[in-house]
Amino acid sequence: MNKHLKDGELRAALDGELDGAGLRHLESCSVCKMRKEVIQAQIQPTARGLSFLNAPVQTNGPAAKTALNRFHIRINTQKEIFMFKKLLPSPLLRIGLAILLILAVVFSIPSTRALAGQFLNLFRVQQVVVVPIDSTGMQQLTGNSTLGKQVSDLISSSVTTQQKPGSPVTVADAATASQQAGFRVRVPQAMTPTRISVEGAGAFTIKVDVAKAQALLNEAGRSDLVLPSSINGEDVSVTIPASVSVAFGTCPDPAAPDTTNGFSSNGSAGRQYPDCVILAEVPTPTVSAPADLNISQLAQIGLEFTGMTSQQAAAFTQTVDWTSTLVIPLPKNAATYQQVTVDGVTGTLIQRPADDAPQYVLVWVKNGIIYAISSLGTNSQQAIQMANSLQ
Amino acid sequence: MKGRTADSTGARTDSTQARQAAQSFEELFLENWSSIYRLLVRMTGDPAEAEDLALETFFRFHRQPPKGGENYNPGGWLYRVATNLGLRSIRSFKRREQYEIAAGKDALGEAPENRPAQIFENKEEQRLAQLALAKMNPRRAEILVMRYSGMAYKEIAKTLHLSPTSIGPLLLRAEREFEKTYRGLVQEQS
Repeated sequence: MNKHLKDGELRAALDGELDGAGLRHLESCSVCKMRKEVIQAQIQPTARGLSFLNAPVQTNGPAAKTALNRFHIRINTQKEIFMFKKLLPSPLLRIGLAILLILAVVFSIPSTRALAGQFLNLFRVQQVVVVPIDSTGMQQLTGNSTLGKQVSDLISSSVTTQQKPGSPVTVADAATASQQAGFRVRVPQAMTPTRISVEGAGAFTIKVDVAKAQALLNEAGRSDLVLPSSINGEDVSVTIPASVSVAFGTCPDPAAPDTTNGFSSNGSAGRQYPDCVILAEVPTPTVSAPADLNISQLAQIGLEFTGMTSQQAAAFTQTVDWTSTLVIPLPKNAATYQQVTVDGVTGTLIQRPADDAPQYVLVWVKNGIIYAISSLGTNSQQAIQMANSLQ
Repeated sequence: MKGRTADSTGARTDSTQARQAAQSFEELFLENWSSIYRLLVRMTGDPAEAEDLALETFFRFHRQPPKGGENYNPGGWLYRVATNLGLRSIRSFKRREQYEIAAGKDALGEAPENRPAQIFENKEEQRLAQLALAKMNPRRAEILVMRYSGMAYKEIAKTLHLSPTSIGPLLLRAEREFEKTYRGLVQEQS
């Protein structure tokens, strides 16, 4: 090889990565040797600047097995969140999910059922109860792409939106929010919100196609759960009043689309918005349905599908005052919960183990308004203090 | 009946494949966790961020693993994804800002009393090097991270689907861009 080596080859030689013929040439060529020294001097500052990339690491971090466990926990949590998002693609419907369980509720009360033939305003929520559910059944529905599509189709064909809430609108202060939302918005004492937004009211109606719904249950391997044919074609209407969201700290924009598709989009959300706390306020939603609709029976089926035995489901419905209770179904792996006293009433504090979604949510109901304080941080005591200082 | 038999056999095969895939994913995780985590700690300087990003790396593999075939290189795939996540992280202003504060505190905490100035100088150099990586051409930054974190040319070539002989020239070009960017940042600071 008589031709001199190119700079790139000389660079490889500096790393001991030059091939045999090139090396032999280099050994005998003073021009190339000199050029190699020039290149070595040129890259010296870069090598110094980037030396941290190969420096000893001070921290060992979690052991691989510990990390794998954390990975599995996150995957399970993620699956459960995605599952609900997939089943209930619109936020309106997600809120409706909790309300549907309340339906169970109200129609199991004899005095309510006596008002047959009328459409009723069914409830006034006064407290919150969490139902821990096993989401395996729902995973069967959403994990199977064909079944998942059928579920989406069923929901699309069953739900008619009468009123879309629209995008949240930022307002100047709590007084303006109260005026626009139609109820008195409360804010914590001595805290200055970074943003107050109002989301309009929404309304939708659900009409059940019992044959399609039963076919899905059968496909999911739960043919033991039989939907009553009497629910076929019955209308259930849900109206959700305008709501207000009060943000403290640096929070994501409520009007921006949700683009999260993994553990983190740019680092985890919990680390992007560590000081964000959001207080949400919404008057009790209203549900209307034919009084002869046996929602109690449907709730029983729903609870069994989510992992309860029929005895457990029956027992659960008897332990709760369904006429005044907002029931929140909570996947077992996704979070833990406890009852706490806040704002003069009993509330529920739900805490998530993962840090890529709200770490805690404190929910309570007072004077017909549902309040929720959520944060990506870990200081749930802060939420309790905020709740107690609302004015 | 025949159809049902075929279906159930198919279901068993699917289930066996799923079990095997889960097992091989776990093996891959255990084998590569440490190197991926360490790479990200070095890149970001923040152990908590590094853990997040390392988990995100494996999550991406889990969600959509690279295709098999003769170029199948899951370790290289993980390393490349981790490198890019690390670069994206240090590009984020907030991340850098947090890192700077953390780096300063760590440096003070660990520094012997008689040489805090030197520690700060080193940290400042590292911060500028990170900024330079964040500012430069992403492909070149990627190759620099791979080489300076200890990958051999053959490994880099396999990971980036390039010829091993092209690594020297590409690396030199990347080093020249880094040096120019770094110098620009130093001038901006002064």
